[in-house]
Amino acid sequence: MAWGYGRGADRRGVEIHQQTEVTGIRVAGGRVVGVDTSRGSIATSRVLCAVAGFTPRVLDMVDLHTPIYVHPLQAMVSEPVKPWLDPIIVSGSLHVYVSQTARGELVMGASLDPYELHHTRSTLDFVESLSAHMLDMFPFLSEVKVNRQWTGLADMTPDFAPIMGTTPVEGFFLDAGWGTWGFKATPVCGKTMSHTVATGRNHALIEGFSMERFARYQMTGEKGAASVGH
Amino acid sequence: MKIMVCPLNGPRPVSEFAYGGEVRNSPDADACSDAEWSAYVFNRSGSPGVKYEWWCHIASGFWFIALRDTARDAVIATYPAEAARNILEPPGHAP
Repeated sequence: MAWGYGRGADRRGVEIHQQTEVTGIRVAGGRVVGVDTSRGSIATSRVLCAVAGFTPRVLDMVDLHTPIYVHPLQAMVSEPVKPWLDPIIVSGSLHVYVSQTARGELVMGASLDPYELHHTRSTLDFVESLSAHMLDMFPFLSEVKVNRQWTGLADMTPDFAPIMGTTPVEGFFLDAGWGTWGFKATPVCGKTMSHTVATGRNHALIEGFSMERFARYQMTGEKGAASVGH
Repeated sequence: MKIMVCPLNGPRPVSEFAYGGEVRNSPDADACSDAEWSAYVFNRSGSPGVKYEWWCHIASGFWFIALRDTARDAVIATYPAEAARNILEPPGHAP
């Protein structure tokens, strides 16, 4: 899916610079004036930050403070087995989701790792606890092997909703805090954020996700985000 | 399995502990502005770094402080809760 989005953007004229690290964002008089990277500087009046688990590090560059905190989120896949599971099954009390792919593998996940961490090493603790909960539901899987696991960094907010739109730094726009949400929201994010960047005003659909909502104590109610309990 | 050294119970598996967030100083609620208070309630230092954190050994209910590098998941030192007096700045100073 990510490659599909990348190819679509490339066809529409978006330049994608891989292996290019942002090392600083220059602000003068409260306005964005440029971005410094490991491969040179870019003069610009507008920057959109959409970097998921790396959001707090980028926000440090423009001295913005948010409630975003980062926890690892892991998932794992079993060896392929004969088709037996058609729907996706989610247990809020066991913190498990599982579905079976067209190749027969079981794709399984759980809730966030239990404390703040900024690396993506897989843990045995995760496999053990998720497997125990899987076997609570499906004891006949006890002989099935786990093939692989992986980890991503989830940028979390207190109300489990993203932070989108303008910021106190003029020309600096934020699309972050998506934490455990999936990629399915990406198209409408692109649409609303491009409108916001082009006009300098938040699109009507994302007004409820502004970073000022916390100062107003106006949280959203999005606890179903990852379909496992939080 | 990771091992954390509890100041009361010694080395224990990290699964026996609960994370309680960073050790932070609260602003003076009577003197600070609304913006300072909401920033204290919601905002966090989200970047990786070496941080003082509250942890609890669940089985014994013992709260203590750990100095941990959140980029490497390395516990550098642990202290009994009384150490908070030395870690926190005097009341009224933002963390």
